[in-house]
Amino acid sequence: MHSGVLMTRFKTTKLLALGAILLSGTTMAQATDYTISVWAGGSGPADAYRWQAIEMAADILEREAEVRGEELNITIEEQHTFDGWDNFKQAVTLAAEAGNAPHIIVTGHEDIGPWSQSGILRPVEDYVDFDAWPLNQLYPNLVEVASYDGVVWGLPQDSESRPFYFSRSHLAAIGYSEADIDALPAKVLSGEYTLYSMLDDVKKMQDAGLVEANKGFLPRTSNGPDYWQFYQSFGGNLVDEATGKLLLDKAALTGMYQFFVDAVAMGLTSSTHLGSPGDSFTDAVISDKAGAWHAGTWSKPQWEAKGLENFHEKVQATLIPAGNAEGRANTITHPLVYLLSTTGTDEEAAIAAELITIASEPRINTLHAIKSAHLAIGSEQVNVPLYANDRWAAEATENFLPYANAIPNNPEFGVYWTAMFKGLEASWTGVSSVEDAVKAVEAEVTSAIGDAIVVR
Amino acid sequence: MSRNFAFWPIILVLALITAPLAIMYLFLAIDTVTTSAPGSFWPTRFTLEHWRFLWDAKLTGDVWGPTATTFIFASTMVVIVLTVSSTAGYAISRLNLPFRRLFLSGILVMHAFPAVTLLIGVFLVLQFAGLYNTLIGVILVKTGFSIPFGVWIMKGFYDQVPWEIEMAGVQDGASRFTVWWRLILPQVKPGLLSLGIFVFIDGWSEFMLPRILAPSSNFDVLSTYLNRVSDPDTAQYNFNLVKSVGLFYTLPILALYAVFQNRLMNIFSGGTKG
Amino acid sequence: MRARTSMLGMAFVTPALLLLIAFFFMPVALTTVFAFTNMSTATGITGGSYVVTGNLLRTLGERGVEPAVLEVLEQRVFAVDPKTLAAAASAGVEPQFLAEIEQQLLGQSFDTSRAFEAALKKLPSRPTRTRDLKLAAEPFSRAILNTRYNSREEIGAAITSLAPAASAETVGQITEASYTGWRWVEWRNFSTLLEKPETLRILGNTVFYVTATLAFNVGVGLFLAICIFYLPQKTGGVFSVLWLLPRITPVVLYAVMWKWMTWENGFIYNIAQSLGLPAFNYMKGSVPTAWTIIILLNGFIGASFGMIIFSGALRAIPAQQLWASEVDGATRWQQIRRIILPQLRWPILFVTSYQTLSLLSSYEQIWLTTNGGPGSTTTVWALEAFKAGLSNYTGNLEYAVGAAMALVLVIVGIVLSVLYLRVFRFDELVSKPKIEF
Repeated sequence: MHSGVLMTRFKTTKLLALGAILLSGTTMAQATDYTISVWAGGSGPADAYRWQAIEMAADILEREAEVRGEELNITIEEQHTFDGWDNFKQAVTLAAEAGNAPHIIVTGHEDIGPWSQSGILRPVEDYVDFDAWPLNQLYPNLVEVASYDGVVWGLPQDSESRPFYFSRSHLAAIGYSEADIDALPAKVLSGEYTLYSMLDDVKKMQDAGLVEANKGFLPRTSNGPDYWQFYQSFGGNLVDEATGKLLLDKAALTGMYQFFVDAVAMGLTSSTHLGSPGDSFTDAVISDKAGAWHAGTWSKPQWEAKGLENFHEKVQATLIPAGNAEGRANTITHPLVYLLSTTGTDEEAAIAAELITIASEPRINTLHAIKSAHLAIGSEQVNVPLYANDRWAAEATENFLPYANAIPNNPEFGVYWTAMFKGLEASWTGVSSVEDAVKAVEAEVTSAIGDAIVVR
Repeated sequence: MSRNFAFWPIILVLALITAPLAIMYLFLAIDTVTTSAPGSFWPTRFTLEHWRFLWDAKLTGDVWGPTATTFIFASTMVVIVLTVSSTAGYAISRLNLPFRRLFLSGILVMHAFPAVTLLIGVFLVLQFAGLYNTLIGVILVKTGFSIPFGVWIMKGFYDQVPWEIEMAGVQDGASRFTVWWRLILPQVKPGLLSLGIFVFIDGWSEFMLPRILAPSSNFDVLSTYLNRVSDPDTAQYNFNLVKSVGLFYTLPILALYAVFQNRLMNIFSGGTKG
Repeated sequence: MRARTSMLGMAFVTPALLLLIAFFFMPVALTTVFAFTNMSTATGITGGSYVVTGNLLRTLGERGVEPAVLEVLEQRVFAVDPKTLAAAASAGVEPQFLAEIEQQLLGQSFDTSRAFEAALKKLPSRPTRTRDLKLAAEPFSRAILNTRYNSREEIGAAITSLAPAASAETVGQITEASYTGWRWVEWRNFSTLLEKPETLRILGNTVFYVTATLAFNVGVGLFLAICIFYLPQKTGGVFSVLWLLPRITPVVLYAVMWKWMTWENGFIYNIAQSLGLPAFNYMKGSVPTAWTIIILLNGFIGASFGMIIFSGALRAIPAQQLWASEVDGATRWQQIRRIILPQLRWPILFVTSYQTLSLLSSYEQIWLTTNGGPGSTTTVWALEAFKAGLSNYTGNLEYAVGAAMALVLVIVGIVLSVLYLRVFRFDELVSKPKIEF
């Protein structure tokens, strides 16, 4: 008996809401007021369109209602002053536990795993139509990144890649011709130029006195998806293809840890580099004091804001080189996503869903993409002049995006990630050997999430 | 006393180990009203531009709202802590209670207790009470954390009030409450004042609790405000500006300290005699 | 004879008691409970629901649950038949739209929601809003995949109605596995802590941090107290005022001041550079300097505590005793060793024990300065507990691990406190009130 199937928490609210909607559908003459809250994590001033797009969408939705002869008032409450991802995620998680998460959460896609399990999220697919404009032009692989376990939980908000950069002037000074430098991306892609070739070149720069000791190679100073790129450079995969479970490839992890230990031993990066303040990193980049470094594509406008000029003449960007024969040149895209929380009524969620749908319009999303140097979320954006005419966006879309993959959405991935970074810190700073660090990661993940990870 | 010793060697050594402190605080003051060349610390020019944040909200955001909130935070805390400690302190000092010993030793244990490590539990309690992400919730938690100290201090002050005063009152037929209110409380006024100042400073400085228990609320206290301003990744980051905000934040405390220095010394040692 | 309980006393302690229960006892109790669970962001704190997901079905398949049952549970069919039409009617789908559905789609079934919605969108009376259309489609689904149920009974009934052939045991197994909330894990969090090599490192860091800071606090506090004791009151006063400043300075500002002192282009950096000494970010640039700064930074806060306590004890020494020793021709050092230090034995023990406890649980200063770095070389136990449970980059808050680590601190704290209460003759402090009526 169908009526014997008891309703879920969501279904219950859905059906209650249904009555209300169908009733109000005919008598929508009076004004309806909504307050929709948006929280955006990890966002600086350049990322303002993450919430301004929602404000623009609210304006459009109000106008659409007015054209239909209805009165709709939407107030957007945005918050983005969280200092760092750890504070943002703590705030969202605790607020959700307390039942007052924001309606719309802008966060990294990897949060979908744990948050969908804990019941914080409404599946976006229950609220939007992927067969209609503008969602029907989203890149399918990005929609895939916003999904977990067969359910689309969010809409991609941006995409990116995290390439490797070389100082053109320093490469030229150690004997590279212009043509050699221009050919570097291809050599990286083919695997001919590896991370260790990079170390050798950077060593030459330091030996020639072009670059200070410990400044030759500047990796990211804090934890980030970036470090998984180096695991992939040494042949590691994050997911075991056969079982769909997480994968810990010990050989790749060893290769990756050893690479950073070698870089420290060669004096190319400091043993205490992790955790050093970001402004000295930025300073080294903008004043051409570094040989090679890696960072997200969005860093370019930040460097330019702090004084870097003529980026394309000074810097050569490539994929992250392979580490050894098993590995491959790669880059990780880490899209942020718009998520809908279970906070508020179903009607509010429906409005929030319409807002994030409108915010995915190519023109609106392009504002964000170009202002913050992120990449397109949909195929139509290349037809928007602002996007098409931006050299950096075009280059990144063409050279990096085809080789980009994403970290998995898995509730247990955070444990694995934290363990990986702790092991990296321990071996990098020299408090434990590479071998012990890998063993510690293995011990930690098998004891914490043994069922969910394959160790190889 | 002890005039047969020369002071100068002692003063020299003392000055040497105190130097880092003196330098930090001296430059805290100097840097807020001067500019200096990069790579040097010697001020070259007097200026008030670092204090523009007081009237220009575009620079670091409005500072007066957080100031008012911080004041409300600290003074509400003072009122609650004083009320609760002056009654409970009296009860354990003078009145007969079951489990008095246990209560007192419990207070002593909690006094030096790692309360901040229990934040997950505290969060849940607040959430059950519907006070997560609210100012009053943060105030209550901070007050709760300060109670063992307050009660212990007040007990110490009550212990010093001569019994005769109380005896006289009770023999005149006054109720125990009247005796406390009319006769004893005025005797511990200095204690209340000292504790009040201490608690105010403590509340004014609090950072962890508002940061964790009210991260997304629409109020800011000066500690979280300063923390945001001092993030080197922000566009307007500048050490002189950060120091000016910091000095502005600390001025009320320094003023209280200057006026009530001796009382604070009293508290720092008084409540902690083993 | 036992005196009568004072009602006023009860009334007077009640507010304090309530606050202590709310913010000490309950958090301790909750922490204890959490320490024996697998609570994390993914499981939530307040309990979960029951949901069958694709991953779960795969896992159940590996565990040997009948494939036939799993296959039924996996399907997500939308069927237009009399039963679902009735369900839709009772759910309030608009009658005209419903009539059109019945007319055009009766007897059809759709494998995906997308296909069914595409069909619905062709009907003239369809709702214009996407959400309304999806709500109208909802009653036609009989699937339970990805549907959240509030209780074991509800999901059990749903499974049974969809797969009547499944045995009670199988239904029970699926139900059990479908729970998304936290579970009891006995001592697993603690055994994991014991196994991790990192635990030992953090423990070592903590012991080093507490010992070194304590040595600084007591040593400098003692030195200050004795120096100030010998100085004229005014001169001594200046120093004690200065040394109390770190204690009253808000921690956020204090951290900023140390950054100014020790970071790149900071005060020491510039001096070192002009002297030709190694100049770098001392707080984050090397492990020994990071530790030195952490210890100094905490030591400058803590030393004033010892200074005050020791000064109080020194003032209690009878002046005649000192004069007498001077008449006897004692040197300053002899005076300190023979008269002053013996007098300070108890205060030193007190300061040591009191500060051990507060240092063990302090992490705010470290968090705001080195944040446990470089790497995790200056991470202490309390900071690690905080990071694991409440603050980490991946956003996976492992409440249970944090709670287990906090619980260890709580137990150490209680044991030490009880020990101290014995040593410091607690009985004298809790002597009974003298008058009772």
